Amino acid sequence: MSKRTITRDNLSEARILVVEDEPMLAFAFEESLVEAGYEIAGVASRVGQALKIIERGECDAAIIDANLAGVSAGPIASALAALSIPYIVVSGYSQEQQQGAFHGALFIQKPCGLGDLIRAVGGLFVAPLLRLPGAP
Amino acid sequence: MKTSTTPKSSLRAECDELRVRLEEAEDILAAIRSGEVDALVVESASGPRLFTLPGLDAETNRFRGEILAQISDAVIVSDGEQRVIYLNAAAEQLYGVAASEALGRAVSNLYSIRWRDPDDEAAEESDLRENGEWLGEKEHVTQSGQALCVESRVTMMREIPGMPRGRLAVIRDVTERNEHKDKVRVSEIRYRRLFEAAHDGVLLLDPVTGKIIEANPFMSQMLSYPHDYLIGKELYEIGLLKDAGASQEMFRKLKSANEVRYDNLPLEGRDGQHQEVEVVANLYDENGRPVIQCNIRDITERKRAEEHVKLLMAEVNHRAKNLLAVVAVMAQQTAKLGDPATFALRLSDRISGLAAGQDLLVKTEWQGIEMADLVEAQLAHFRELIGTRVLLEGPPARLASASAQGIGMALHELATNAAKYGALSNREGKVHIRWQLTYGHDQIFSMSWEEHGGPKVPIPTRKGFGQIVIGRMAEAAVNGSAVIDFREKGLSWNLSAPAEDVLALALGRPQ
Repeated sequence: MSKRTITRDNLSEARILVVEDEPMLAFAFEESLVEAGYEIAGVASRVGQALKIIERGECDAAIIDANLAGVSAGPIASALAALSIPYIVVSGYSQEQQQGAFHGALFIQKPCGLGDLIRAVGGLFVAPLLRLPGAP
Repeated sequence: MKTSTTPKSSLRAECDELRVRLEEAEDILAAIRSGEVDALVVESASGPRLFTLPGLDAETNRFRGEILAQISDAVIVSDGEQRVIYLNAAAEQLYGVAASEALGRAVSNLYSIRWRDPDDEAAEESDLRENGEWLGEKEHVTQSGQALCVESRVTMMREIPGMPRGRLAVIRDVTERNEHKDKVRVSEIRYRRLFEAAHDGVLLLDPVTGKIIEANPFMSQMLSYPHDYLIGKELYEIGLLKDAGASQEMFRKLKSANEVRYDNLPLEGRDGQHQEVEVVANLYDENGRPVIQCNIRDITERKRAEEHVKLLMAEVNHRAKNLLAVVAVMAQQTAKLGDPATFALRLSDRISGLAAGQDLLVKTEWQGIEMADLVEAQLAHFRELIGTRVLLEGPPARLASASAQGIGMALHELATNAAKYGALSNREGKVHIRWQLTYGHDQIFSMSWEEHGGPKVPIPTRKGFGQIVIGRMAEAAVNGSAVIDFREKGLSWNLSAPAEDVLALALGRPQ
């Protein structure tokens, strides 16, 4: 499926990928997104699972946990950036502990309010919040 | 001629004997005249008596006596029967005996001997017999019981005709000297051992030439160079400082400050292996000669440990925040049902379940939790029922921490539900908890929770948070599938997943 342009007007068509290894948080993110009117592109708890969903072109934005069972989610961020798909990094690590792969990304610190998260997702489509590497 | 009653033959014998005695007496007189005898011991009814002889040159003799009296070594002369015929003032003092008491009496009255080595006694006798002289150390115990360490030089006296050869002993009290030597030796052994056994590299350098004059074994070990290779080298030649300039800089600093410290220097050994070392150099005075001591400590391990702590801190931060996020979701989900009082109870109950799981994870250092331990921790409220109404059955299975958290939360919800509505809400209901590993192409972990004997189970009309926890959350935690069956006779819950996603690494798996 091809990439769509999501604006304020067709927000509800936006498919969000949730990458989170903690089932409770994945559930909460998913539930909140659905309640806010988004579609869920998928829930992934491992890098490989997430990359498959991205490759299929099935997502318009993503929420990524920076650390997936001790493995950096950096490759997911790179794959999204290469496709100019906006994303938010949710992390328990302080920003200075993060490594280069997420450079310039929008960070939300855990524990975060679900309302803040939903607002941030909406923001991804309203204004170019991110200067993604490789973005036109 | 008048005939005597004495037979002629006996007269002749007496005459011969007298002649022999006369000859002996003439020999002794000759010896006395030639100055070979200074004193005589004569047996008498009241015991042996000593007669000193002025000799030919009385003045010379007196002078010699004076010298002997002033000498600090004890001098004892004994006759062939080991009786004292002379002792000087130093000997009187050493043994605490006046000459008048000692003279003519056995030497053994002055002291008894303790040999260092039991063979020494025989060695002394044979040396004296063959070489006329013996030198050695032994212990003299005085009459008052004091043990003296002495160095004794014993010389056989020249032969005086008709007398058994006497002995001249020059005795030096070396007790103090030996004690001092002993202290020095002990000290040397002690500090040598420190030097040899130290787990720091130690180098001694000549500040004038800048060259290594001593290196301990650990230094050789650190650098993989043999000891002899290190001696005579400069620091930069063994990979410690980068060049001769850095070496000179260190010496210059040492001269002004006496101590130079480098917290972190790269050290390259012979095999090219890099180590991080801490170097402390001190300039010391060694008996008037300056010497530099360098202590070199390998801090590679310490730095690694520091890095590890940093990593752990980041990990703890991550886990703590994750846990807080989980608690936040729990609160939000719990709040969907019931009044504030029920919410507070339900939430704190769920948080204690989460905390019980965390305790186990911390105890096992996130290396995995035994299934049976997890069940017991989550069913702590029903501890007294375990074995009677709550039956556990399964092989040892060590769960990875993520699956342990998911299964733990599910068990907590199941137990809470059973206590409220199910088999644990009456007096006779039972819960069977079983788990197993089935081996096939892929190993499968499966577990079940089955209730019997409780009140009839009504099928819930809406899907609460508890159901989500035992359903999709448990599934996500183990990457498996969960089946919930609200049977009339009691709830049944089954969870199965690939063992590799459930179990902790390297444990519970067939090789």
